[in-house]
Amino acid sequence: MSSAAKAIVPADLSQLNQGQLRKLELQIARKYSGKVPWGIVAWAFGNLLVWLSLWPLVIFEAIPLWLGFVLATISLSLVYLPTHDAQHYIIGRPGTKWHWLNELMGHATSWMIVLPFELLRVTHLDHHRHTNDPDLDVDITSHADGPWQAIWSAIKHRQPNAKRGDDYLASAARAGRPDLILLTIVYKLGHIGILIALAWSGYALEAFLLWWLPTQLASIYLIFFLSWAPHSPGMGTGRYRDTKNWRSKVGNILSMGMQYHIVHHLHPYIPLMDTPAAYRELRPILKAQGCRMEM
Amino acid sequence: MQFALTWVMKLLPLIFGLGFLAPVIAAAMQALALPTPFDLPPLSLGFVIGGLWGLFATITGRWL
Repeated sequence: MSSAAKAIVPADLSQLNQGQLRKLELQIARKYSGKVPWGIVAWAFGNLLVWLSLWPLVIFEAIPLWLGFVLATISLSLVYLPTHDAQHYIIGRPGTKWHWLNELMGHATSWMIVLPFELLRVTHLDHHRHTNDPDLDVDITSHADGPWQAIWSAIKHRQPNAKRGDDYLASAARAGRPDLILLTIVYKLGHIGILIALAWSGYALEAFLLWWLPTQLASIYLIFFLSWAPHSPGMGTGRYRDTKNWRSKVGNILSMGMQYHIVHHLHPYIPLMDTPAAYRELRPILKAQGCRMEM
Repeated sequence: MQFALTWVMKLLPLIFGLGFLAPVIAAAMQALALPTPFDLPPLSLGFVIGGLWGLFATITGRWL
């Protein structure tokens, strides 16, 4: 625990009531808000440049296609998290100096994984409102009893008639944003149109291995670590019950910082890169609240 | 417009199979120097596999 936490958190939390615990929790959490997380801004735009540069590098044979495929899969796996900070307006809230950058970052990168930024935002905020609700959580289809079932479920829910797609569109409709349904269709048709154009221009394998297949693999990876691992199995509903702190077998970086997902659900304005530090400070309070914690 | 979009979305797996999978299969066969059955041109084989797979996905709503 940091010295700042020692200064704030009393040694014996059992003497505090719910209101006092919540006040203390907020006091700590607020310390981590309000700063622009420049690291994730650099991550978003740097990753966009890396992925775009793979195309000429592969086409002009500066790197082999297999290496391009590996790098593209890593790159597309790294697209979502910066947009996730932007979905929560962490780079800049409406009316603030950096709001334009927040929105630019989201829109400029989400297309790489063929999803409109606004759809990601609307559905993700819905996930926060209804986490683990079997009828309303847009990510409920990622729930599974074990890791292999989770991977299979993620594959099944990428099929044309899968429930996951319907849940996302239903969420957009509930939010009064039917325009996002049309926009999602435009993204999808645009993606397939570009893939077909590339394939018939002599770049079929490049299109397949730099965009289509990496997008599928990245999506499965993201659903596994961002959705299944922190919310399933056996998690309930409610502020301190719908997600957990967990120890990943592949470490925090390879599980994309999701070991500390509980901090994100409780205080979604905290930047991703600050969630481990915030967790360490909040830990005694979360323990007092009965949260599930493995570290 | 909505009618046309609905149909395009319904037929999207078939469009994907014929428009994208077929040339990908043909390019992969050529890159790996794999022989085709009955001496079919690689693109013809791509159309057969991509078309049938796309049709299956269009009818059943799943690729796998």
